[in-house]
Amino acid sequence: MEKPKIVTRFAGLADSRSLDTYLRHDGYQALHKALAMKPAELIELVKASGLRGRGGAGFPTGLKWSFVPKDAPEKYLLCNNDEGEPGTFKDRYILELSPHMLVEGMIISAYAIGAQKAYIYTRCEFYEEIAWMEQAIHEAYRHGYLGANILGSKFSFDLDHYGGAGAYICGEETGLISSLEGKKGQPKLKPPFPALSGYLNKPTVVNNTETLAVIPWIVQHGPEKYRAIGTEKSPGTKLFCISGPVKRPGVYELPLGYPLQKFIEDDAGGLRDGKTLKAVIPGGASAPVLTADEVAKVTLDYESMANAKTMLGSGAVIVIPEGQSMVELLKVTVDFFHHESCGQCTPCREGTGWLSNVMHGIYQRKAKLKDVEKMIAIANNMEGRTICALSDACAMPTRAIATKFGDEIRSYIQRGNHG
Amino acid sequence: MSSLFSPEIRQKIEHYLQRYETRRSAILPILHCIQDEYGWVKEEHVLALEEHYQLPRVQVEEVLTFYSMYRQQEPKQFRLMLCDNLVCTMMGYKEVDSAIRGHLQEYQHKGKDCPFSLEKVPCLGVCDGAPAMLINKTRHLNLDANNVVAILKNCDTLATGT
Repeated sequence: MEKPKIVTRFAGLADSRSLDTYLRHDGYQALHKALAMKPAELIELVKASGLRGRGGAGFPTGLKWSFVPKDAPEKYLLCNNDEGEPGTFKDRYILELSPHMLVEGMIISAYAIGAQKAYIYTRCEFYEEIAWMEQAIHEAYRHGYLGANILGSKFSFDLDHYGGAGAYICGEETGLISSLEGKKGQPKLKPPFPALSGYLNKPTVVNNTETLAVIPWIVQHGPEKYRAIGTEKSPGTKLFCISGPVKRPGVYELPLGYPLQKFIEDDAGGLRDGKTLKAVIPGGASAPVLTADEVAKVTLDYESMANAKTMLGSGAVIVIPEGQSMVELLKVTVDFFHHESCGQCTPCREGTGWLSNVMHGIYQRKAKLKDVEKMIAIANNMEGRTICALSDACAMPTRAIATKFGDEIRSYIQRGNHG
Repeated sequence: MSSLFSPEIRQKIEHYLQRYETRRSAILPILHCIQDEYGWVKEEHVLALEEHYQLPRVQVEEVLTFYSMYRQQEPKQFRLMLCDNLVCTMMGYKEVDSAIRGHLQEYQHKGKDCPFSLEKVPCLGVCDGAPAMLINKTRHLNLDANNVVAILKNCDTLATGT
């Protein structure tokens, strides 16, 4: 299977983050092309490419842009660079490779939706990456790609950076908006959707870093070329992060529809130290786990993952070896979501806490066999009842592990009860 | 004007208050900037922000207590932030954690002031280098029980405490 390089075309280049390198590899050419087009044409172009949001939800990007009212005087573009989903490290890689790719993507996207101002919201623990990004923004201003009358056009646009302070929930788009407004990162009820009323109640588009970073390539090469990659419903390439005990963990750019097993065995080199595969979490901590048998049947695209009752999510493939306790992983998972629940919705605040309590009982072998069913029952009552998806993000992996590995958990409890 | 903040910090606060659409948006960056300078955010800093910059205490406290990277206690010289999430757990976080605790206990046994504080943090976004830890603002990857002790011993030589 061919593996086109869109985001990773800068990998291996000397000084890949510099403006000079970016310009030598057609950098900012797409911006020239975009500024010669009408904004509505650009939105149509992105719609035609079939690009879907790469942060996890997979919503069509062009469609999201088209919801922004054209006549609103003040609009914002926000880049969600908060990358907090456990197992995910692809947006960090984009900043490591070429932050100008993101900057150019943001200028083009802002022009398309008519935003005059944008922020890149980044988790503050990415200290080095933030410095690289700020350098790229500075260079872009110095060379007339940002600021007033960009490249002699009528379009003026400012781009700034904003640092988070350690809160997973700020990766949720309305939580991010609350944080940027200087508040607790608590998500807001939708509707109204940010496209109509977002940052400071103004129309706002929130896009993931990877989504924005592929925009220049799509504009430059045309939507047909992008559509030709991947599957019909999941076009293009995507960055996948693979971690766990594989020989070559890291970030890989793959066409959507790529077989998961092939990715693990061929690209990442398979498991190391003679380990065998037990399970895979295919899309970050909130994605339901797949057993080794299921791994062999799925491909890396939105539809295949949905058919297998899990999700592509952020593209974080976490490989779990035989011998790894699922009791331990489930405890880590529910503890994480309990810690990160923002606390405003009862099913989430209390549900994640309950799951954590029951799970600690199981972990310490002070539980009853029926506590496995209790975990599933709590999870069932946490879904679809809250402002944002964090509660669901805890419920889904809990139910998957408690169901698919229920026997392992019960046998773990029994070993304790029988000394 | 408050003499609590140095002229450089005062200048940065003024800068952040101008930089965003609302003064309230400046709270997160201002708290980062105070913490970078003083190591933590003291109650008197919060009071000074209200008195001299009209940032309501309730709004500042809301941010300070919600986000986990802000510190409200006096820090040790080396803030160890060890990831205990999924991938780090699978890749040996517990051995690293034990080794760190062992090293920190040596200070206790010797009755010396320990220059380290240890906290568990959620995923740091570097799972390809698990187990991972931040020491202040520096990332340490692919840790194990041996190399983490070597890193801490290196910190020992840089410790400024008594």
